[in-house]
Amino acid sequence: MGIQTPNGFNLDNSGKRIVVDPVTRIEGHMRVEVNVDADNVIRNAVSTGTMWRGIEVILKNRDPRDAWAFTERICGVCTGTHALTSVRAVENALGITIPQNANSIRNLMQLALQVQDHIVHFYHLHALDWVDVISALSADPRATSTLAQSISSWPLSSPGYFKDLQTRLKKFVESGQLGPFKNGYWGSKAYKLPPEANLMAVAHYLEALDFQKEIVKIHTIFGGKNPHPNWLVGGVPCPINVDGTGAVGAINMERLNLISSIIDRLIEFNEQVYLPDVAAIGSFYKDWLYGGGLSGQSVLAYGDVPEHANDYSSSSLKLPRGAIINGNLAEVFPVDHANPDEIQEFVVHSWYKYPDETKGLHPWDGVTEPNYVLGPNAKGTKTAIEQLDEGGKYSWIKAPRWRGNAMEVGPLARWVVGYAQNKSEFKDPVDKFLKDLSLPLSALFSTLGRTAARALESVWAGRQMRYFQDKLVANIKAGDSSTANVDKWKPESWPKEAKGFGFTEAPRGALAHWIRIKDTKIDNYQCVVPTTWNGSPRDPKGNIGAFEASLLNTPMVNPEQPLEILRTIHSFDPCLACSTHVMSPDGQELAKVKVR
Amino acid sequence: MGAATETFYSVIRRQGITRRSFHKFCSLTATSLGLGPLAASRIANALETKPRVPVIWMHGLECTCCSESFIRSAHPLVKDAVLSMISLDYDDTIMAAAGHQAEAILEETRAKHKGQYILAVEGNPPLNEGGMFCIDGGKPFVEKLKMMADDAMAIIAWGACASWGCVQAAKPNPTQATPIDRIITNKPIIKVPGCPPIAEVMTGVVTFIITFGKLPELDRQGRPKMFYSQRIHDKCYRRPHFDAGQFVAEWDDEAARNGYCLYKMGCKGPTTYNACSTVRWNGGVSFPIQSGHGCIGCSEDGFWDKGSFYDRLTDIKQFGIEKNADQIGMAAAGAVGAAVAAHAAVTAVKRLASKREHADHNS
Amino acid sequence: MMDAVARLAESERDLTGIAADGSGEHGVGRPTVYVYEAPVRICHWVNAFSIIVLMVSGYFIGTPLPTVEGEASANFVMGYVRFAHFAAGQVLAVFFLVRILWAFVGNHHSRQIFYIPVHRRQFWKEVLHEIRWYAFLEREPKMYVGHNPLAQIAMFVGFTLFVAFMIVTGFALYSEGTGIDSWQHKLFGWVFAIWPNSQDVHTWHHIGMWALVVFATVHIYAAVREDIMSRQSIISSMISGERQFRD
Repeated sequence: MGIQTPNGFNLDNSGKRIVVDPVTRIEGHMRVEVNVDADNVIRNAVSTGTMWRGIEVILKNRDPRDAWAFTERICGVCTGTHALTSVRAVENALGITIPQNANSIRNLMQLALQVQDHIVHFYHLHALDWVDVISALSADPRATSTLAQSISSWPLSSPGYFKDLQTRLKKFVESGQLGPFKNGYWGSKAYKLPPEANLMAVAHYLEALDFQKEIVKIHTIFGGKNPHPNWLVGGVPCPINVDGTGAVGAINMERLNLISSIIDRLIEFNEQVYLPDVAAIGSFYKDWLYGGGLSGQSVLAYGDVPEHANDYSSSSLKLPRGAIINGNLAEVFPVDHANPDEIQEFVVHSWYKYPDETKGLHPWDGVTEPNYVLGPNAKGTKTAIEQLDEGGKYSWIKAPRWRGNAMEVGPLARWVVGYAQNKSEFKDPVDKFLKDLSLPLSALFSTLGRTAARALESVWAGRQMRYFQDKLVANIKAGDSSTANVDKWKPESWPKEAKGFGFTEAPRGALAHWIRIKDTKIDNYQCVVPTTWNGSPRDPKGNIGAFEASLLNTPMVNPEQPLEILRTIHSFDPCLACSTHVMSPDGQELAKVKVR
Repeated sequence: MGAATETFYSVIRRQGITRRSFHKFCSLTATSLGLGPLAASRIANALETKPRVPVIWMHGLECTCCSESFIRSAHPLVKDAVLSMISLDYDDTIMAAAGHQAEAILEETRAKHKGQYILAVEGNPPLNEGGMFCIDGGKPFVEKLKMMADDAMAIIAWGACASWGCVQAAKPNPTQATPIDRIITNKPIIKVPGCPPIAEVMTGVVTFIITFGKLPELDRQGRPKMFYSQRIHDKCYRRPHFDAGQFVAEWDDEAARNGYCLYKMGCKGPTTYNACSTVRWNGGVSFPIQSGHGCIGCSEDGFWDKGSFYDRLTDIKQFGIEKNADQIGMAAAGAVGAAVAAHAAVTAVKRLASKREHADHNS
Repeated sequence: MMDAVARLAESERDLTGIAADGSGEHGVGRPTVYVYEAPVRICHWVNAFSIIVLMVSGYFIGTPLPTVEGEASANFVMGYVRFAHFAAGQVLAVFFLVRILWAFVGNHHSRQIFYIPVHRRQFWKEVLHEIRWYAFLEREPKMYVGHNPLAQIAMFVGFTLFVAFMIVTGFALYSEGTGIDSWQHKLFGWVFAIWPNSQDVHTWHHIGMWALVVFATVHIYAAVREDIMSRQSIISSMISGERQFRD
């Protein structure tokens, strides 16, 4: 039977049900169920977050200055972005300002993550949805070389290079041990690249694997390690000492040179490998423009990368901020994190309990109580689920809404907002990308558009890194080497009660933390993260979230091989550990598994 | 171009391992599985003919930082590890297959490579809510973990999650997240703690097994001695400043810019066993202390619950109080001192009274 | 006063020699008794001195002194503080061991601080009496050649157990520096089976220091007070070994 959701999607769960669990090549644990009609077109979609860690309840009564380390461990893929959000939230609550240098360094770290994460996402989590690794074996290395050289000036493109690679790949495949490529959907008609493009992509898969580890060295320089670099409330922990005694142990010329060379290399990789690859792959998938979902309708961006330290207003933020609803690009709404009517979370279809589940709660007042129950039409048992019932509770993810609207967040959302605001640094690259592929603007609102926006953003981020590196050096040159403000480091200097919020644009989308501090300890901590927005289940009115919306109306070549589902879900770069960590009240008596 | 067709046996022979040691390894493996001597020769045969050791990499409650760290390895490069050294047959973070096709790999591995695969576990299982705080294939992750552990040759516990519990097991541990050695009790478990562990330490442990044909020597807590037998403090390049008595007292102060010791800023290097100060991070670029922040002790058991990362002395949370040892000790000593003083005063008064009484009596 | 002692002494049949009944320690009518043999006295003062050094140096390990100027290689402040701590710790450990050995060969007073006769009702009755004495509910103290029962408990817990705890945790922490192949780790590494994160061992070792501060305070006060109030020598006994009864 078919129904229409308030946000305009037609759902029909009468057809054959397909379950994908686990969804792989994502961060965390996730399940997708879809119904396909007689023509194998997806007519109903159910996405489920299948893990829950309770980080926010663990944060209660802890030192707010430590919160960054806890929240950073929400996710090791977008490592550091939660930490940045957290220190911003604490600084906002306590009125702590940071030095200019700290702002530049934080931006460099955040942008480095953006680039590294986008590259790893595209090549290692997403590419196998577009690229048939086995088909690469039948490629002509010479033709591959010609193809590679026609799309970019990247030097690793000789016929011999591709031949060696193909030989290695052949040996690997012939060993019969396919490792991570085992049981892939090789040979499926859903793959559209010619063998040469596949071989080139495999080469870049391996090159990107080598290169991504170089990008994160920027985190290592400033934060000591990656994943999970160190941060600091009030600035950054690394001191600057360019030419004084002991400079060898601080941010000095050698370190600045290392950062600079990494930035040069990543700009090169973005512009000569990543973006051309996305464009090349896109050109073969031009007629596969499914997966738009909410992107053409309701998108949300918080903005990030402040030009000026401590100024988080739209005019200072280099990544755009705003909300678009009902597909009206002509109007970009301002977003206010402190307004209780704007961002609210619902749990009617989530495994949590509210006193009144028809209402949503603002994160500052967020209460959450786990309530793991399956809907009446679910199949299987509570510990052996065969099929979920989307009419009941079905996910560990809550349903956040902006003024009641389900929103999509992420690189595409940011670029749509930037485009709608007519900012040339966002509009021009989009127009050029579409023009090169002779596609209309509407093509942007698709799985491919999401993937392209990420590549464009990586290019943008690389150039911004150059900008902030120069800015950092200029500021040091002007005599300012301060990196931390310790005026309010000691808890004795804090007010008895305070509340605040911090936000960033994580690689996968808008991220915010809300904090309440009482008697120098955390009283309440709530995170609303990108995958909570994108992966949200239905809300009390029946609006579906971005994942579910994006899967609808996609035809599947073979329902037994969920390639199209993976392709579209992956285009969001889901991070389930992020989305499903919300809090529980203490003292819950829950059923336990016996250990042996 | 790699050694894709080399077998496990030929790789370890090339490393100078004798045939005898190799067979010893196989029979130890068979014993650990509770299998008979026949199984040992079957395992030996398989390792001699099977190209690369199958590795099953499972994810429980975690943040994927261990996988992210693994792919940062500079030597060996992770592409070489995956293409030429191991056969990473299952890893939900990077594998091509999903759903049924992914699940099928687990079944197949158990059947075809019984006792021959390494189980690498990232994250840990939650036990509350029937284990359904971490669902995998519609079932509790803990079930899948036990199932795969039963037939594994050896188990690697990646990171603080699998080894100790890490952040989700920090108080009050709402999901009852449990380190894997409390779930799997019948198998050798190599703990490689850290949040995450250093990339080259991770690949180092895996390649050690392949290269030397045996499990690494472990310390009392189950960690490979080669990477975890010394404290960060023991090998810290700022150690001379510690011994000299030169400490950072405030962020970004003169001492910080001079690279003095971060002990007073709460650095946990003196109580943390890891290779950070020698191997360093991301190809040896830096490590936390070199970049100005103290060690937070991320490879230690329960490091989340040892008070603020910025306190030298750990807060003790008991009976509703939250104070460090000095605060408690000074309060106790003060109270006892006052009690002693009061007692002395009463004694003096009583003694005076008694003397007067004596005097009266005698007179 | 004299009457009380005499009555007490008479009630115990043993009126000769250094005078003890089966339970050990009842006072006698002789004015001077040799109680603390030389090794006991030496151990007492060496341990007392070591503990003072350990407390001071230990405190400054937990809360280091302000930063010193100059190059790191030209200074060794923390090093000396730690050296003092380790040296005093080794000395304390050796003399604690000597003291234990002496308990086997010395007189019966030398054994007193190593046990509590928990099974003897009489002992607990006298503990009660001592508590009443310290609570000013008894007019007269009982006389003891060695430690009174309450003091025996205090010595056993406050000295023997606490110091043993400090030695064990101290060597465990020391073994972190000497390495897992050292004898210290082989002997004391089991401590980390109780507290896998050595940060906890540091914390308990630190708490133990404060427990000893509390013990020392009470110990010194009680000694001085008894010296005056019980009319028996306490402090000088630890120098000469002889206990005098002044009434």
